[in-house]
Amino acid sequence: MSNPFRPVLESLAKQRGVQASLIVSESDGLIVDASLRFGQDGDRVAALAASLFRKARLSAGAARLGDVAFFQLDAERGRICAVGGRSDLVLMVVAEPNANVGLIRVELLKALDMLA
Amino acid sequence: MIIASVEGWVEAPLARYVEESRAQMALLLHRSGQVIAQAGFTRAIEVMSASALAAAVFATSEELGRQLGGERMNEVHHTGARRQFHLAPVGTGRTAYICLTVFDAESSLGLVRVYFADLCRELIAASPAPAPAPAIGLDFERDLHRNLTALFGRA
Repeated sequence: MSNPFRPVLESLAKQRGVQASLIVSESDGLIVDASLRFGQDGDRVAALAASLFRKARLSAGAARLGDVAFFQLDAERGRICAVGGRSDLVLMVVAEPNANVGLIRVELLKALDMLA
Repeated sequence: MIIASVEGWVEAPLARYVEESRAQMALLLHRSGQVIAQAGFTRAIEVMSASALAAAVFATSEELGRQLGGERMNEVHHTGARRQFHLAPVGTGRTAYICLTVFDAESSLGLVRVYFADLCRELIAASPAPAPAPAIGLDFERDLHRNLTALFGRA
């Protein structure tokens, strides 16, 4: 049976430096579907990143800044980029530290349109 | 948050679990309903009823799983309007416990599951040498009284 999320995840996973792409439920922090190519625990990344995204969205709302368009977390050994806010789904990518964030951002926003 | 236990070795892992998962309450109990440790409960009566009900819910789900497909159900998750609970077994090597976690929108099922896996690992590592599983018998009431006194300073 075909999965409607698969093409979205595969298009993101093709980007240079992308180690994993995930579609996660923001409220539950659970993976809806994922393309994992790295040795990390996908469940852990999904739960923590969804929690951060939710907090960022609520903070932006509380500060009257509007919706969160793009969320980025840079860490020593990688970065997490996420978009969402249109439904309960958050689209996120785990990338290498030197990955092109601009390109990833464009692809994530395109992918979000595909999901809508 | 109030954390109390009748077995000291479970206290630190449980405290860490509650803090990291941002749970509101957690209860570690034996499958029979005997309380091992609690975090976040303020009244003895809440612990008593929650532990009895949690043990019953877990036993019911296990039996339902057996009847439906012959397999044990490992986890139970229920959502309410503001609160959710997660109920799952913890195999410590010493004996089989179950853990009830109550959380709200500050946490999520994903976070609870991630940190619950850490809790299981920590409890297995901290668990003392195997001992026979407790059974409800003539000493049940005395044990219950002793445990409640240890947890709350009074029965």
